[in-house]
Amino acid sequence: MSQSLSPECTPLKKKYDSCFNSWFEGYLEPAVAAGKSSDTRAAYSQKKADEFNQKCGKVWEEYKSCIQIAVKERGLDTLLQQARDENPLVEPIPPLPPAKSS
Amino acid sequence: MWHKYPNSKCTHVVSVDTIDRTVDPQTGIIRTERVLGCKQKAPIWIVKLFGGSEDAFVREISFVDPATQNVTITSVNLSLSQFATCYEQIRYSPLSATQTAFTQTAEVQARMALWRTAADGLEKWLVQRFEQNAQLGKSGFTDVLRNLWEERHRASP
Repeated sequence: MSQSLSPECTPLKKKYDSCFNSWFEGYLEPAVAAGKSSDTRAAYSQKKADEFNQKCGKVWEEYKSCIQIAVKERGLDTLLQQARDENPLVEPIPPLPPAKSS
Repeated sequence: MWHKYPNSKCTHVVSVDTIDRTVDPQTGIIRTERVLGCKQKAPIWIVKLFGGSEDAFVREISFVDPATQNVTITSVNLSLSQFATCYEQIRYSPLSATQTAFTQTAEVQARMALWRTAADGLEKWLVQRFEQNAQLGKSGFTDVLRNLWEERHRASP
């Protein structure tokens, strides 16, 4: 596992990453199966989103406040804000049109 | 995909930090925003001219959609972004039961408007420096002349 950009945040980063990883490990396969109908997908997604917040919410808040300070100290906050203003990327990128076979 | 770094082929990525992550309770899509820190080997003249450093940072946004089994990763440079941006987009999408399609595009954009303001700023600064220096030079020489004149006056009254 890689480091945080700030050595002080690395322990929290590792804690958060492993929390996410263990949540994610059990996420994908049932999610793919549940994705076949929108009802089952919504039910499963809600359940897993709640579970993620329950499991990792606390360490996330700790890590977030650490990294936010580190980002600011390096002057990255303004660059980040500028990038977000230019391209928020909050919506998933739509699938590509089917490729033409050559 | 979150384990892409560190990897032995991309040793230039030295830090990875998640700065935002959401799991959509409707669609199950995971959106992750990260900041990657890289050690870049930029040509020395670029570092000198643009004031960059060895550390460069990148903003990366990924979407994982379990329903369509699509993964997209978009990244853009934060460092030196006042001069140019490079958008990279990677997509993994299922082609068949056993195949995944990988596409990768990149878009490089120089900020021409900013270049112009930078050029304008440089021009203005150069003009100002010239004016200041010209002024200083002129008054300096005036002093020299005055001293010479006064000296001569003293020597032959």
